[in-house]
Amino acid sequence: MASIQFNAVTKRWGDFFGVRELDLAVADQEFLVLLGPSGCGKTTTMRMVAGLEEPSSGEIFIGDDLVNDMPPRERDIAMVFQNYGLYPHMSVRDNIGYPLKVRGIPREDAQKRIDAAAAKVELGPFLERKPAQLSGGQRQRVALARSLVRTPRVFLMDEPLSNLDAKLRVTMRAELKHLHHELRITTIYVTHDQMEAMTLATRVGVMNKGVMQQLAPPEEVYNDPANMFVAGFIGSPSMNLVHGDLVDGTFRAEGVAVPGIGGGSRTGVVLGIRPEDLRVVGPGQGVFDAPVYSSELTGESTLVTFNVGGRHVCARGDRHFRCEIGEVVGVAVDPQRAYLFDAATENRIRL
Amino acid sequence: MNAVATSLSRPVVTPEAARRRQRAQRRRAVLKVLEVGVLLFVAALIVFPIAWMVMTAFKTPITVYSYTIWFQPTLDNFREVFNPRWGIAQKVVNSTIIACSTVVIAIPIAVSAAYAFSRLQFPLKRVTFQWILLTQFIPAVTIVLPFYVMFRKLGLLDTYAALIIVDLAIVLPYAIWTIKGFIDAIPLEAEEAAIIDGASRLRVIWDIVVPMARPGILTAAIFCFILTWNEFLFGYLLSRQKAVPLPVGIIGFLLERGPVWELIAATGIIITIPMFFFALIIQRHFTKGMNLGAVR
Repeated sequence: MASIQFNAVTKRWGDFFGVRELDLAVADQEFLVLLGPSGCGKTTTMRMVAGLEEPSSGEIFIGDDLVNDMPPRERDIAMVFQNYGLYPHMSVRDNIGYPLKVRGIPREDAQKRIDAAAAKVELGPFLERKPAQLSGGQRQRVALARSLVRTPRVFLMDEPLSNLDAKLRVTMRAELKHLHHELRITTIYVTHDQMEAMTLATRVGVMNKGVMQQLAPPEEVYNDPANMFVAGFIGSPSMNLVHGDLVDGTFRAEGVAVPGIGGGSRTGVVLGIRPEDLRVVGPGQGVFDAPVYSSELTGESTLVTFNVGGRHVCARGDRHFRCEIGEVVGVAVDPQRAYLFDAATENRIRL
Repeated sequence: MNAVATSLSRPVVTPEAARRRQRAQRRRAVLKVLEVGVLLFVAALIVFPIAWMVMTAFKTPITVYSYTIWFQPTLDNFREVFNPRWGIAQKVVNSTIIACSTVVIAIPIAVSAAYAFSRLQFPLKRVTFQWILLTQFIPAVTIVLPFYVMFRKLGLLDTYAALIIVDLAIVLPYAIWTIKGFIDAIPLEAEEAAIIDGASRLRVIWDIVVPMARPGILTAAIFCFILTWNEFLFGYLLSRQKAVPLPVGIIGFLLERGPVWELIAATGIIITIPMFFFALIIQRHFTKGMNLGAVR
């Protein structure tokens, strides 16, 4: 088990920066989730830890070892791939045992460890099958068992659940969380699914365009976003972001005035409020009135979208709430739960 | 409107519709007969010479020139072919040594080259690959003479080495190209997984790439064997007595009194037998290879 340290690491291909000047410290036993849209540099970051990609500049440490020039097999890591990366010509047993075989672990010892790893992910009855004879979830378990058969210093997981169907993904997510709790191996987990990030992570690193936007525990990323990108990326439906101005502590935009924001006067700001922090009330009872654009029942709640000065603003209402499209309702805003951003730099304005 | 409604609820066959359907059926039947006819004709064109060779091989010297298909088959020709005065046994040995050596040398080279062309980055990669393929377009006849001169200077005329070298030049481009196609289809992830699991580059090739490209490697090997086994032109010009390959050996049956057709045919069958078995293996492995595929 080990910590991981990035010092000013950059990865570039010609003029394109995959990762730019990244400083990152992953603590021992931590479960770090790298989250971001495709092409944000999260996978590149992980592949540099694995040694499948070489950094263009900067230093990477695993434990106390500078690993920049260390080949993958000496790094003592294990990785789970998006498409599982199984060996189709080998049985499940041989797939799981491959890291041991390569390292010359004696057969008897290896068999014991294969059985133990397979038992941990409930693959016992499938050991003699070929990967092609397994379902997607079982294949993912084989990949998992292969990565934990050797108890590596670091686990790397590259979107391991993205090929599974929605229901299985939730089950496997819980299993991963349980496994990490049991094994306590430092893990870097790459995903574009914010739900996985929120549920699994000790800390979430939100990345965009090769730059780390915010690195914090999940609740902090959700409740205290560092900038507009993080605010908009985390949460579903995503945070409402309305461009306007601040006049004597009141936020003003076309069709909206939200008092009690504070911070004096300022032009070119963006007000951010999560749908779950807006309440639908009777006309005239809220901060502003607006016509309903659409109303969607998701089961656990009702998503109500309003038309506010030509923009769409979404509120999450009670699951028993019903309204007609075109009906004018009031919208109540809790100013304490509103975020203010600079429209030009997209950085958070802290009041 | 009414008619539509009825036809939707319960199909009514009008006499006109029935006639139309009958005509369509008749047209399909005629097309089918034509199709089968054309296929049979083409098949006959291909099969006839082979059938003729097989029959000739079992005929006595007297019946060879008759067109009858009712004759008393005999195995005398096969016995006669191995009579030491024709030297066919030695030529079977020669061809076997040359073809096997070529395949055994060509396949490891081709796998390495194919892997490099598929996975590695190196200067002039594209150009090199194109040139390797371009060598296939040079008519063999045009380079036979330089080869002859070269081997004479090297003192290699009438040796296995000379024929193996030439055959390697003939089969390698094809083998590299075939195997590269199969390696291209292997997902990179499997290789990366093996690297992370602790395998060296060579180990990855041996443990992961070779087994997954097996159908391609096997196919390439068999085709290389067939090409080499049947090679005539270079074998004819670069050998005298010791290294004469089997197809060239047939020339020995062209006597002053005329060709000995029944012995030529018998030798032809001996040449064909390994091809026949290889064709079966290829067929089996191809269907297997397609089922194996990559696991997603």
